[in-house]
Amino acid sequence: MFFLFLFIHVFLTDLYNLDPMKEKTKAAKKPSIFSLLKPYKKLISYLILFALLSNGINLILPKIISYGIDSYSMGDFRMERILLYFSIAIVLVFIFTYLQSIVQTYASERVARDLRSRLSDQISRQSHAFITEANPAKLLTNLTADVDSIKLFVSQAIVSIASSIFLIVGASILLLSINWKLALAIIAIIPIIGGTFYLVLRKVKVLFKESREVIDWLNKVINESIMGSAIIRVINSQQIEYDKFITANARARDLGLSILKLFAGLIPLIIFVSNMAGLTILLLGGHFVITGSMTLGQFAAFNSYLAILIFPILVIGFMSNVIAQASASYQRIENVLNSPKLNHPGTITEIMKGDVKLENVALNFGQKPALKGISFELKAGSKTAIIGPTAAGKSQLLYILSGLIPPSSGELFYNGHNINAYMPEAFHSQVGFVFQDSIIFNMSIRENIAFSDTVTDESLQKAIDTAELQDFVSLLPERLDTVVSERGSNLSGGQKQRIMLARALALNPKVLLLDDFTARVDSNTERRILENVQNNYPDLTLLSVTQKVASVTHYDKVILLMQGEIIAQGTHQELIKTSPEYVQIHTSQQSTSNYELQS
Amino acid sequence: MNYNLNKINNKEKKTSTIAALKKLLELISAEKANLWMALIAILVNSTLLLLGPLIIGHTIDAYVRTKQFNGVLLFSALLFGMYLITLVTGYFQTKLMGGVGQRMLYTLRNAIFNKLQELPVSFFNQNKAGDLISRVNNDTDKLNQFFSQSLMQFVGSIVTMTGAGVFLLAINIKLGLAALSPAIFILVFTGIVSPWVKKRNASNLKSVGGMSAEIQESLNNFKVIIAFNRRDYFRKRFDQANQENYKTAIAAGLANNVFVPVYGMFSSLAQLIVLSYGIYLISRGEFTIGLLVSYFAYATNFYNPLRQLAALWANFQVAMAGWDRITEILSLTTDLKQSEDITGEKSNAVLEFRDVHFSYTEGEEILHHISFKLEKGKTYALIGPTGGGKTTTASLIARLYDPTQGRVLLNGKDIRSYSPEERTQKIGFILQEPFLFTGTVRENIIYGNLKYKDYTNAELEKVIEKAHLRELILLFDEGLETSVISGSDNISLGQKQLIAFMRAVLRNPDILILDEATANIDTITEKLLAIILEHLSKETVLVVIAHRLNTIENADEIFFVNAGEVVRAGTMQHAMDMLLEGKRNS
Repeated sequence: MFFLFLFIHVFLTDLYNLDPMKEKTKAAKKPSIFSLLKPYKKLISYLILFALLSNGINLILPKIISYGIDSYSMGDFRMERILLYFSIAIVLVFIFTYLQSIVQTYASERVARDLRSRLSDQISRQSHAFITEANPAKLLTNLTADVDSIKLFVSQAIVSIASSIFLIVGASILLLSINWKLALAIIAIIPIIGGTFYLVLRKVKVLFKESREVIDWLNKVINESIMGSAIIRVINSQQIEYDKFITANARARDLGLSILKLFAGLIPLIIFVSNMAGLTILLLGGHFVITGSMTLGQFAAFNSYLAILIFPILVIGFMSNVIAQASASYQRIENVLNSPKLNHPGTITEIMKGDVKLENVALNFGQKPALKGISFELKAGSKTAIIGPTAAGKSQLLYILSGLIPPSSGELFYNGHNINAYMPEAFHSQVGFVFQDSIIFNMSIRENIAFSDTVTDESLQKAIDTAELQDFVSLLPERLDTVVSERGSNLSGGQKQRIMLARALALNPKVLLLDDFTARVDSNTERRILENVQNNYPDLTLLSVTQKVASVTHYDKVILLMQGEIIAQGTHQELIKTSPEYVQIHTSQQSTSNYELQS
Repeated sequence: MNYNLNKINNKEKKTSTIAALKKLLELISAEKANLWMALIAILVNSTLLLLGPLIIGHTIDAYVRTKQFNGVLLFSALLFGMYLITLVTGYFQTKLMGGVGQRMLYTLRNAIFNKLQELPVSFFNQNKAGDLISRVNNDTDKLNQFFSQSLMQFVGSIVTMTGAGVFLLAINIKLGLAALSPAIFILVFTGIVSPWVKKRNASNLKSVGGMSAEIQESLNNFKVIIAFNRRDYFRKRFDQANQENYKTAIAAGLANNVFVPVYGMFSSLAQLIVLSYGIYLISRGEFTIGLLVSYFAYATNFYNPLRQLAALWANFQVAMAGWDRITEILSLTTDLKQSEDITGEKSNAVLEFRDVHFSYTEGEEILHHISFKLEKGKTYALIGPTGGGKTTTASLIARLYDPTQGRVLLNGKDIRSYSPEERTQKIGFILQEPFLFTGTVRENIIYGNLKYKDYTNAELEKVIEKAHLRELILLFDEGLETSVISGSDNISLGQKQLIAFMRAVLRNPDILILDEATANIDTITEKLLAIILEHLSKETVLVVIAHRLNTIENADEIFFVNAGEVVRAGTMQHAMDMLLEGKRNS
């Protein structure tokens, strides 16, 4: 059994992986799609076994018929016996094909499921940068369309190719045993067809890869038109989106047509070549019969075996299409699977007091520095604000502090230990981060807040109270178990923001990073929330990016960040005296502060 | 209106295969000529290929047996000619049929996308993005697979089958009927089983949609998963969706695979019938052995394509299930239609709410009895606690939704009577969550702006200068050419808001709504924005929603929005008092 399997393997690996360009550039040969099947040896063996059994018996059926006819013409015809043989064969074929179809379903679905698990596992271990780089839309294609084409390969290509090769080999042997000269002439068509396939598939493979990229492109346009549906309707730019889509769609159609053209040429060509083989039998075989070196019966047999030979060649042709697509998909999946896993050397799990220190931290985007020479210290339990203009690098700084992105240079210390020395689990459970953009999951409010698995009911309730969500929650039909929709579209901006705060607080963090939290919450609620934080989490080290000077006047420290650099740091009083930039910001908010003081 | 695709009632969903097919065929009415040509190519091709064995048989009988090699040569030449013709017809058969499939897919995708563009915002709020994307991509891909791979075989098989069937009946009607009788069982079996198969495929496609939605959500928000240490949670949620998909896929796969063994069994049965009944007929002198042999050939020619159809039929059922899900989208219509103006009375205000009520879902009214007027050149502020209805009010001004009761008047005419072009030109709305398209800053700020579409950078810079936007452009590293990736963090939220702001200002609307549009922009830059707004036309109406009070202190009038009611606040002080006392009972 495995000889055959091996044969297919070698045959097809040669066919599809002989890309001379790639061989040169990459010393290590990329794993072929067949290597994917190794863990499923048993299932695949059963699959091929059942397929060959049913095919084998199907080959016997004509024998029974010819036996029936022969015995009738010889006057030795027994109906019951023929009926019995035939019925047994039919039932066996039915059983084997049915078994094969079951195994085939399980095998292909299992391969698909496991591949998806492996992919998601790999993705789940990646860094923020990887996901952004790899692009979520592309990863979605990997997990859906790419896996599907591999599924098709397992469910259809393997069986068809195994049985086809079985039939080709069988028919060839039979032909050779009848008349080797004629047989060789006929078998010569196999390499011709194989060569044609090889040439065409090499072209098709490129097109397949391109058409997958076009699908990514289509996805992107659809994605943006769905995510940006509101602004599209506000601007009435549906036509623009439609035009974008048509461009991508037309490209997809044209690629499809190019692929089709190649196959449209290939298939008739193969039929033509095999018809030429038929013609050869007629001419050469006819000649042999006329000269007496072959009997008429043998001549007829040649014809019937040719029919058996051609059909599997055609099947391989169709399946090569499937394999080419699956190989392209597998390559894309392999790229994700082979990306290096994140390596966390950190082992520290100790509980932080909340001291944070940055030493000369810098961050570059390509050539351009986003942050440079950032150094500051936060004492445990202190309150610090970061103020600065739009695009000063405030959010980036928080991303570095939360360990989402590594700094390009410089070091970060929590509790005197380098951030990398912490076990990620221990680190993230002590540092809470409220993102600037609202990120709400399509789950219940309870799950949205108790997002981490270490959250107790008690800390959940404390977080809800602190974020002033209790009134809101108690008015919901199913309280905490109310499911909020994706992108939180049935919540107001302020409600989303407060849910996100509660999510961070529910961790009972030692350090809390707030990114412009107050922007969407009215000042009244904001004040109460900050008081609550003060009362309920007294030891918390707070670092808050904000625009409002008024709310940070009593903070232990204010850091003024401009164009990626710290311009000044100190208390509000100090900065008012020393920093003209700070004074400018302060003045810009003066009139408002008056109002807030009055009220 | 209910736009939730997963909750739309299934009453009308019982469309028959034929009805679904008819709808599908409407999409390719333009392809008639191509289909006819393809049919001719298929007929010629199949006829020639079916004639081949007959000619070979004749050559054997007439020339090989009689040892006349010249005759063999002659007929070989004839065959060669025929085969050359099939080379051409075969090419056109595949190319024409496949071309129809590809173009049909193209039309179909366009139709769906067009429909997506036509539907209102509510549709997108009620459906998960991942599920929608899966429907548009995955489900059309299922149709694609059918059209690009199976359709040709489908048609080819049917033609060969029909031809062989005609031969079977023509040679001997009795034996022909007997040979074809298993096909009737197959037909009945297919008829009974198909709806069940389709249903299983539909539920599989649904779980695929669910899985896509899950992936979409998690991947787009991956930073939260990292920061909250929930990688394991992501895996668990995904594994669940994956396992669910596995189950439905197995169910669908087992259903799809039921056809092949059954078709195979019945076609073998047909051979058995031909054998036994044929021999019976021969024994009664009604048939000959020679005819019996060719009869088997034709029976094979009938049942082999049928067996292929079995595999294709499953593909067809999958495609039909996908088509059903797509039709669910295509059959939706927008509830924001343009209608005749029926107000009759004129209003002097630029915009007026007249006793407006609104609810997102029936029975849960968000806004009650809202009436107010916005006048030329004035600035209005909407303030109030979070969740009080400010954004909803603004959305009604921009007609993202229609009021459930009452009327919104734009320049004295019902807002519903304006064409979308006219309306969106008059009303600008900077949304709370800025959205950018992948491209450059330039492309984003003139997005959908027909006036500046073809401006060169130099010309556009003049426009920017005139609108006092130059300083804002300078905040981007590479100015107008700074690249933007949708949904990524490569530019900050504040910068995104600046782009959205510029986009709206450059459109120069009559009414400009700013919904927390500058919330994440620093106060100094914000002063700049205030100056820009002052330079807008004297007639522009500004509607500002903000928490930060400095952004609203210049308002001519302040509305306090709370618990679904809009109250004129009079002075700033009064507004502040209300805000402080206001209980968030929304």
